[in-house]
Amino acid sequence: MAKKRTSKTKSAVKSAVKKSAAVAKSARSKSRASARIMAALNAAQPVTPGKPGDLEHMIDVLRDKEKPIEVRFAALQSLGAAAFSEPDFPSIQGDYTAALREVATDADSEMRRRALGILARGKDGFAQKKLMDGLKNPDQALLPPEKALQLLGNDIHSDAYPIARAMVKNAPNPTARREALRLLATDAASAPTFEAILQDKKEAPEIRQISAAALHSLKPEKLQEYARDILLDPSEHADMHQTSLTALTQFGDAELGDDKKLMNRVNRMSASGSATVKSSARQFLGKYKAKE
Amino acid sequence: MPPVETNRALTEEEIAAQVDSLAADLRHSELAAMLREDHPFYEQRSAAAVVRLRGWILLALARAGITDDTLHFVLEELDNGLDPYLVAAAARALRSYPAANSAFAPFVIRALGNIRGHNEPVSFAAYGDYVLAPGTGTSPIGELLETLIWMASAARAVLAEVRALRGPAFPGRLNGRLDSAIQAIAADPPESAPGMQEAACCDLRGMLPWAQHSLHPDQKVIFEDDHGSRLGFEDVFRGHPTIVVFFYTRCDNPLKCTLSISKLGRVQKLLQERGLADRIHTAAITYDPAFDLPARMRSYGERRGLSLDTGNRMLRTVEGTASLRRHFKLGVNFVESVVNRHRIEAYVLDAKGRIAYSFGRLQWEEADVVDRAVEVLDSADARGKSGSAGTAFGAMASIGLAVFPKCPVCWAAYLSMLGVAGLQHIPYAPWIEPLLAAGALVNLASVWLRTRTTHRMTGAWMVTAGVALIGLSRFGWVTSGLGVAATLAGSLVSALSTESRPYSTVP
Repeated sequence: MAKKRTSKTKSAVKSAVKKSAAVAKSARSKSRASARIMAALNAAQPVTPGKPGDLEHMIDVLRDKEKPIEVRFAALQSLGAAAFSEPDFPSIQGDYTAALREVATDADSEMRRRALGILARGKDGFAQKKLMDGLKNPDQALLPPEKALQLLGNDIHSDAYPIARAMVKNAPNPTARREALRLLATDAASAPTFEAILQDKKEAPEIRQISAAALHSLKPEKLQEYARDILLDPSEHADMHQTSLTALTQFGDAELGDDKKLMNRVNRMSASGSATVKSSARQFLGKYKAKE
Repeated sequence: MPPVETNRALTEEEIAAQVDSLAADLRHSELAAMLREDHPFYEQRSAAAVVRLRGWILLALARAGITDDTLHFVLEELDNGLDPYLVAAAARALRSYPAANSAFAPFVIRALGNIRGHNEPVSFAAYGDYVLAPGTGTSPIGELLETLIWMASAARAVLAEVRALRGPAFPGRLNGRLDSAIQAIAADPPESAPGMQEAACCDLRGMLPWAQHSLHPDQKVIFEDDHGSRLGFEDVFRGHPTIVVFFYTRCDNPLKCTLSISKLGRVQKLLQERGLADRIHTAAITYDPAFDLPARMRSYGERRGLSLDTGNRMLRTVEGTASLRRHFKLGVNFVESVVNRHRIEAYVLDAKGRIAYSFGRLQWEEADVVDRAVEVLDSADARGKSGSAGTAFGAMASIGLAVFPKCPVCWAAYLSMLGVAGLQHIPYAPWIEPLLAAGALVNLASVWLRTRTTHRMTGAWMVTAGVALIGLSRFGWVTSGLGVAATLAGSLVSALSTESRPYSTVP
């Protein structure tokens, strides 16, 4: 018996040592990476206020595929900061946009992600076209579908709605479906989809929460109705109780205070359940009981 | 000539090829028609695709030469546009107009101000091209400077603003072009500059066709207002002139919807200052009824200075949206339920809900719109008074004819019956009867003349019958009462008949 315990202990210790070594290795690697990045930032010569030449130099560094990727990232970071802080930035805005479009098809996936992210947030037509082409033809995709959908969601005037709808029905992965739903949250015609998802207990809480948020924007009266139903259903997931309490506390009609069945249910929830649900229930009661 | 394909399934490239073909054949009017926002080419396309298509069409029109019919599309982009491709294309297109006009200068300067933070590089080399390398292609500021060079001394009024462009935030590689523009503007104009025009003022709004047309919804239109009340079209618009603007809360061009609503707030204040707030109403109608719910509209309007009450509403359609779009010929299109492009549009409706004036594409002045609304109000008042007076006079003349005594003895009998001592001495005057007859005939003629505008004959036929019956009564027939009734009723029907004007196209 003692021998077994000893061998088990030895095995546990070995495993722990292995894990520690792995963590240490990772930390050292990150530390080396950080050092490289710090060196790169220094080498990239931070922008001097009032010196447009610095901005142009940063653009050249960004575009130079021969330079280490960390150096190019540093240049991109400097340019992004300058876009907000440098009063002379408009003088090179055009060149910056052109450079971003150029590196949007870079061999490095992270560079592509960052460049397309900046362009998409500016509603750039080039970026939108590339992202849409990638969703329609995966072999042309510059980014994973979930990222492409997320970036296309920056512009409600894009034409990504049909693709997003198809993704909700048949997504390559759960994250892509989630992003497709987020994108559809601005489409009034998708309200029935969100109603169905919110009422479906088989859907993951996160997905149902996205649907609740969408309905708040598109059909607030329906959200109130479903939130009430969710609260009255003890078999519902605690996260959904939480979400429903928050929704009704923030946005519910004053008449909810007259709903005795609901008030009794929330009363009980304020005394039992998880800490967060109890807290939310008390806030709800605080709002509606105060109106009595 | 092959017809223009409007199949929605066309790709952007196919549409661009059509555009090129039309430009090569100089089919100018068909190209211009493609710039209407409600054109089927723009249905279900992203806003970015609409930009590419509209820009390509502007460039095609530039190759054919911009004319007065298409000038407003160009000026619209300079006045309100924020997309680099469209502003650059418009600036280039303006240079194809037959001659520079000093009235263009404020538009060019305004565009330079609008696009300053968005001077992105654009390419006109091929449809759908984007600039991918710094220092290549052109840019909106570059094209606008070229337009100022083209305008030369016609842009003299804005020379100070052009000089003020220079600075550290100005694109360095365009400094040379800026110098050229300043030189060209400051240079003395040639003695005989063919086609050079000096506009009387810096405002081209008078040049543009403001369409007047009537509104006959073919389907019931029901609105919901900013407080959730449901109202029919007649409930909102009948009985008073109304100033109407279109908007949507998700518009991302601050020079369009958000500014229109802010201006509507100032219109309300102007109406109050002039004591007209009860007599001229305002309304803001959303392009996006599915998303712009009452609370959202209310918040949007109040934050922009709108007062909201029963005379000043924000509205979304809950029924008859398509009908409303058709009859205002709204300049808007959609991708799914979201607006992908719209123009600025404001209207003055008369007391019957018909469009009396429209203001489209360019920024409108609050005082101009109010003045037009006051014109509509004043003309309605004047029509009412003259119409009532005319109706009353004509009807009374007919009644007088019906009851006028046929002879001096009858005249005496009338007077004694009335027991008016003093009137016994009023002699019988035979000329009174023909005078009353003439009055009745004048009334008859006026109701028939009115049918030319109203196209409604019922009242005229009733008055004709009434006058005929009164005439017969002079020959002993007992028809005077019926004749008087028919004349009165017919005159009333004629006075209340609405005018019907033919519908004309908004540019």
